Amino acid sequence: MNKRLTCTFGILLALSPWLAFANGQQETAAPQATASGTYSGDINMMHFSTAEEESNGNGGATGFRYMIKQYQQKHPEINLVQNVLANNEYKEKIATLSAANDLPDVFMLQGMNTASWSKQGLLTDLTDAIASSPYADRYDQSKFYTFTSDGKRYAIPALTEGTCAVICYDKRAWKKAGYDKFPETWNELIKAKAALEKQGYKYVITFGNKDKWQIDSCFLSTIGDRFTGSDWTYSLIENKGAAFTDKKFVDALRFTQNIFRSGIFNPDFNVVSNNDANDYYILGQSAAVICGNWDVSYIQANADQDLVDNTGFAVLPQPEGATASYRTHDTGQGYGLAINSKVASDPKKLAACIDLIEYLTGTEYADYVAQNFALSCVTKADAVDMSKLDSFTVDFYHYYENPGCEIYDSYINSAVIDVLNTDLQTMLNGDMTPEQVAANAQSKYQEVYK
Amino acid sequence: MLNTMIRPKKSTIFLLLLVPVAWYIFSVFIPLVVAVFYSFFEWKGGPAKTFIGWGNYISMIHDKLFWQAFGHNIYLVVVCIIGQIGLAFVFVLMIMSRFVKLKGIHRTLAFFPSTISAIAIGFIWSMIYNYRYGLLNWFLKAIGRSDLVSVWLNEPKFALILVSLPLIWQFIGYYMVILFSAVAAIPQEIFESAELDGASGFQRAVHIVLPLTKNMIFVCITLCIAGNMKAFDHIYIMTNGGPGTASNVMALYAYTVSFRQSNMGYGSTVSIGIFVLSLAIILGSRALLNYFSKEEAGL
Amino acid sequence: MSRKNSHSSNDMRVGRGVGAFFINAILIIFSFSCIFPLIWMFYSSLKEKRAFQLDIISLPAKPTFDNYVAVANDRDAHIWTALLSSFRTTVFAVLLIIVFGYVLGYLLGRLKFRGSKIFSLLLLLGLLIPIHSLLVPIYVVFNRLGIGDKWYTLIIPYVAFGLPIAVFLIHGYVLSVPKEFEEAAAIDGYGFVRTMFSILLPICMPILVTVAIIQTFACWNEFSFALVLINNINYKTVPLAMTQFTGQFNSNYPKMMAAMLLTMAPVVLFYFLFSKKIIEGMVAGAIKG
Repeated sequence: MNKRLTCTFGILLALSPWLAFANGQQETAAPQATASGTYSGDINMMHFSTAEEESNGNGGATGFRYMIKQYQQKHPEINLVQNVLANNEYKEKIATLSAANDLPDVFMLQGMNTASWSKQGLLTDLTDAIASSPYADRYDQSKFYTFTSDGKRYAIPALTEGTCAVICYDKRAWKKAGYDKFPETWNELIKAKAALEKQGYKYVITFGNKDKWQIDSCFLSTIGDRFTGSDWTYSLIENKGAAFTDKKFVDALRFTQNIFRSGIFNPDFNVVSNNDANDYYILGQSAAVICGNWDVSYIQANADQDLVDNTGFAVLPQPEGATASYRTHDTGQGYGLAINSKVASDPKKLAACIDLIEYLTGTEYADYVAQNFALSCVTKADAVDMSKLDSFTVDFYHYYENPGCEIYDSYINSAVIDVLNTDLQTMLNGDMTPEQVAANAQSKYQEVYK
Repeated sequence: MLNTMIRPKKSTIFLLLLVPVAWYIFSVFIPLVVAVFYSFFEWKGGPAKTFIGWGNYISMIHDKLFWQAFGHNIYLVVVCIIGQIGLAFVFVLMIMSRFVKLKGIHRTLAFFPSTISAIAIGFIWSMIYNYRYGLLNWFLKAIGRSDLVSVWLNEPKFALILVSLPLIWQFIGYYMVILFSAVAAIPQEIFESAELDGASGFQRAVHIVLPLTKNMIFVCITLCIAGNMKAFDHIYIMTNGGPGTASNVMALYAYTVSFRQSNMGYGSTVSIGIFVLSLAIILGSRALLNYFSKEEAGL
Repeated sequence: MSRKNSHSSNDMRVGRGVGAFFINAILIIFSFSCIFPLIWMFYSSLKEKRAFQLDIISLPAKPTFDNYVAVANDRDAHIWTALLSSFRTTVFAVLLIIVFGYVLGYLLGRLKFRGSKIFSLLLLLGLLIPIHSLLVPIYVVFNRLGIGDKWYTLIIPYVAFGLPIAVFLIHGYVLSVPKEFEEAAAIDGYGFVRTMFSILLPICMPILVTVAIIQTFACWNEFSFALVLINNINYKTVPLAMTQFTGQFNSNYPKMMAAMLLTMAPVVLFYFLFSKKIIEGMVAGAIKG
């Protein structure tokens, strides 16, 4: 009996590497061509625009879901099989699928994965498709930078252009404290503390960094730009000599540490989420909040009308000693719609997929999000009729007139970002020096980008 | 072992074992072998893999973060053996005592937290630790110690004990249920005669219940070590290993490496590391337990 | 002498009274802490988000079932389909775990056969594997064999990963059952398999029930395998549906609690309805043992 068991083990073990290399030879359903020669059948798509996001007033998600519905009505011959997961779960699942070389036909590609995944042949090269897209003349070409690797484009930027660093503030509170506009330097924020506390505010400004990415996306990418300027950032992205340990960047880290330890923030910034930070603002416990565009729509959907009407938008104040840029905010489209390279084996299906992603990011989408939310996307919308929109939306639209800068985690390899973000959290508590944080990030950077 | 009179035929054993063993090997062992296989590759997600031999293992041995996480796991194991099994044993004895009313209700309620998903448990305890309106700070203010109020989960010194408390609390009932079924196998007469002899509760615990439930306690300890060496969910939800890495544990580290840093090869290596270290600790603890229990029997 | 005696016994009684009071008090506090979260979650789920944020502990001023309506009607969560999938998966998985667990646990507890040491070790290994390390391998293997994303897909890992705990518990229990039962059965002319299922099985009922309870909740709440292996909306289980309400762009805690309670309800009801039976089962086992 022992022999028989050994035998079974043996066979199973011998099979396992074969099972591990399952890739490559996936059986796919035979393509069915209709008489007209267009594709009909399944298209699998994964995204993270959930109904819950829609109900929280997220304009990009609402528009995206609207477009999918439109597409389904227009294309009865195509069975669009959607897998909708919340963002965190989406990231875990897509990582597994990419590792198993079994990505869905159409999916949301995060900017930082473009280089690695395209090198491994997971993505369809869309350069020509994008050039010959019906919306090509309306595309904002600069937005493709995130999804470009070795001169080829691998995705169409999806959802909406979004700032990751904006301050929402209660105009009334700051006026009472003596500021007609939001202060332009951080020192003024520190000075305003007493006046705001007198009005009953517990905190000058709130922030939530529980998940560790917030400090990077919604603070450091902008503050870093003010210290280093964009040339440094591009040099870092393209591995052309810039280093985290450069003095300018370390200065930005030191400033970040000092300002978070200055007492103007909510003491629990490291353990509450960005939503909790928004809620402090909504409940009148803080006079301002640092957030991203998704938080802005959250505030609009959840705050009292009174507060919504009196909310203003401001760029992050200028840090002392930062002279490389002024009034910048990090902004971009972090995700793009990409197509699995395996689809290319069926040209008709590929054409259908390209048509789908173009449609979901095209003028109809642009007009929808522009007219309903004053948001912009990769495709230029017709002129927005501002008169139909409320003042909150219009004000936020004008916020984008401030100069933009890049979001670090849209480009830099995720391994480096993860190390940086984890250390940043420790640094904000004062348990790590800016130099240590920079050194750790740099050593990971050199390991990955060798 | 059974004597030869009732020993079954080999073919009977084989048939009985066939399906469960094949099932188990198929879904646990084969993926495990595949994971071991992956651990020898540099593999940054996607289909491209480069064989690098023991490279990942050498990195792991020098990886401070991994060993920090290992230390945290050991801490968890110790705290949870004392907190979960120790308290469960004490509570079981208490409920067995004739002074206790509402026995049925206690048994029913104690297990209840084990039925709740980690998401809910993490959420509930985050609310307890919440800085602004959490129960803990509320209590401190109520007893006039406002000076102690703090952002609990942001304290590197406390983060680990604070994430262990929910684990302990949740699984006391789990081990109580296991121990109840073990105690149920002890003939009632033994308890009764012990009580007539005037044996105190403590003596009874040490001299009767402990030896008779020894096997089950060993099972509990093994389960507890295994569970805490791969602890993940609660910590992921409550602190995500933070602040920084102050409450990071090995499984969370493996997850971060695999899925956040998309370094699947090294992630597999870390998982295999967890696996080997847990095995060593379990086998070590068994040897230790056997040694001590024999010693006691000798006395 | 006699006075002294009565004095000390009086002392003892007082001591006992105080001790009994403390023991009762400790247990009551502990039991209360176990049930309080459920009560708190329930009444909080009847609050509106704003009311909850302002005071997380007070009772709802205007109880409303809006959160439940919203959860039940969410277009992505498909909560009813998810409940059905979870139910199907859990029932099959738990039944198989018990059958397999009993067979393995009994054989390992009673027989020494070649390979039994290896089996014990293999089972121990299964307890120690951090499941996240198997997500990619399992996905690859299942997909290769075409058994991914089917109604039975999740049952496979759930049974396998539930098995070690089940076997350990049953094995440990079987060791504590006297062998006289089998010897008596053998004298009565019972065969091995018949003894195992008709004599020993009832004796092992308490531990089997324990295993069933533990595994029911483990299967019901399992998340990672479900996330990775299931795409089809018809096979998504409850924890997957739940994530729609706990995403990073959401902090609607009362609604989350409504979702949690709604999805916990079936197993919690099952537990409270049958807990009396379960305890009787244990006591019955005690008498036989």
